[in-house]
Amino acid sequence: MDRLKTLMDWFDVRLGVREILRSNLQGYLLPRHVNIWYSLGAVLLALFTLQFLSGILLLVYYLPAADKAFVSVERIMNAVPYGWLIRTLHMVGSNIIVAVLLLHLLSVLFMGAYKKPRELTWLSGFGLFNLSLILCLTGYLLPWSQLSFWATTVATDAAGAVPWIGEGLVTFLRGSPSVGAGTLGRFFALHVVAFPLLFLGLVGFHLFCVRRAGISVPPFGPSARPAGVGTTFQHEVHRDGIPFFPNYTVKELAVVMFVLAGLVAITVFAPALFLPPDALEPADPFTTPDHIKPEWYFLWAYQTLKIFPSKLMGLAAQGGAMTLLALLPFLDRGEERRPFHRPLFLTLYGLGILLLLGLSIWGHRS
Amino acid sequence: MKRGVLASLTLLLATVMPLTAAYAESTSASGEAAAAETVCLQCHGGQAGRLGAPVSPWRQSIHAKNGISCHDCHGGDPADFAQAMSPERGFLDVPAAAAIADFCGRCHVGVREDYLASAHGRARERGPHCVTCHGSHTVQAATLELINAKDCSRCHEFGRAGQIKEAVAAVDARILAVERDIAAMHRIGFATRELQDELFNLRNAFHRLFHTVDVNKVRKETEDFSRQLDFLDGKIAALHAELQWRQLVGSGVILLLLAAGVLLLLLRKTYADEERGRKEE
Repeated sequence: MDRLKTLMDWFDVRLGVREILRSNLQGYLLPRHVNIWYSLGAVLLALFTLQFLSGILLLVYYLPAADKAFVSVERIMNAVPYGWLIRTLHMVGSNIIVAVLLLHLLSVLFMGAYKKPRELTWLSGFGLFNLSLILCLTGYLLPWSQLSFWATTVATDAAGAVPWIGEGLVTFLRGSPSVGAGTLGRFFALHVVAFPLLFLGLVGFHLFCVRRAGISVPPFGPSARPAGVGTTFQHEVHRDGIPFFPNYTVKELAVVMFVLAGLVAITVFAPALFLPPDALEPADPFTTPDHIKPEWYFLWAYQTLKIFPSKLMGLAAQGGAMTLLALLPFLDRGEERRPFHRPLFLTLYGLGILLLLGLSIWGHRS
Repeated sequence: MKRGVLASLTLLLATVMPLTAAYAESTSASGEAAAAETVCLQCHGGQAGRLGAPVSPWRQSIHAKNGISCHDCHGGDPADFAQAMSPERGFLDVPAAAAIADFCGRCHVGVREDYLASAHGRARERGPHCVTCHGSHTVQAATLELINAKDCSRCHEFGRAGQIKEAVAAVDARILAVERDIAAMHRIGFATRELQDELFNLRNAFHRLFHTVDVNKVRKETEDFSRQLDFLDGKIAALHAELQWRQLVGSGVILLLLAAGVLLLLLRKTYADEERGRKEE
């Protein structure tokens, strides 16, 4: 204990760490009525940390070559001690992350937390959401299974619908005219180096925005009022709030524990939940499997593409919808954040969720 | 400046989103890409009557499921309309009755051998051929149901065929059970290729046995197959034990995580009580 204090003193003299810790832990006050939805950010941090750690462990045995990748994954699952656990946690974790990201995004929308002065927090968060989906997409190819191969073949092929540069874009994405060893190399580099680095930077910026602007007050209860944001920077302080540590941290940790329990439950009792049968067969460029379905979080997009008469129109509609969502803080500029005082927004919010669910179910059954 | 930022964001999203959305396109892939490329299917698939009749039953057959297409049996050039049915490219027309065993036996070598040595094979000029029991283009995975009173009685009494069916029924049921067990283990990520290959060989040898139509030989050798299945069962039991161990340890971890979550919530409640007390003061 004395040694720890001595070490702390050493750092404190040089960097003033005690002051940093105090102002960001015990001295960092959150709104008194902060609800459980605010803990989803901590859940995501915990899950992403698990993805990074399990990903690094998988890298020890994974071989990113077309003739070795599938066998190496099979070896990880069957011969490497606890390899099955690491790989299944990584695979199930990616699906849970998307689910929690969606919940986080929907709760921020519902509580109007994207509004001024938190536009940059929203934009960086929305960027992280998209980057996570791209990480899922690039990670999907790495096991070099039938599903990986054919999903990537058609996904990269869709880029050909872009006018003028389509053909060149397809070759650029694949590294060759068709999906092959070059594609695997590219996706591997993007999945394990380029995107994680970008992701870390964006997470840092997102957390900086959250801390700098201050946590938004939940827009519920009799005392809730429109924000009334000024024209100069002002950190939102909550003088009668509760300390971030340990008072609120224990609640966040509790939610993290419950989500991890769910993750372990799926990993050991339902490992096939996110593992379609075609993901268990090695890639065969000469045999297209029947009934390939995208992951559940892409079903809405899949069905949208089928509704429109041309691929380009479908892609443009999706790009347009996502752009609209990204720019929402700049379009919805009213200060009112109470959901039940925003009937138009609430109606569109409900319809949007129903549309997302409807398209996903339709896509699953089609 | 503001407009520039908005324009950049729009461009970024318009570029990134189609990439993620495009993934969803994967489902448009057809399940018969390899088969659809053969000119045999393209031409015969569009014909009515006798010439087009084989295509539809073949699509439902075990051959189609395993990627065995027209040219695998009938030869010819599956990529060239002009040479598709050329004898120079190895095209074989419908075989004569006595040649059917040799036609099918190019792949089913062991079965051909036992069939030719059997009473059925010796009478092949007029007797039952492969297609009599299995059908031709509609061929399905062989099951014990192929030995039945209705079909066998077309040529002779069911008696001896019934005895053979009775002798092999138990082992056949065990083979099916082992197959289901292996599939279940494969489904959750266990490497079962070796087990699948062993069962494949065992089943082929077992089905070959039927074709001898020799009751005594079938009874004697069925016991050997039963012993081989015991060995496979042992390997599957080891996988089940591994799975149970994972679930047992996993249950412990889940309970610990839930307990930690509840304790942390209780701790939060303690803090909340303190916060209320401080506020009232």
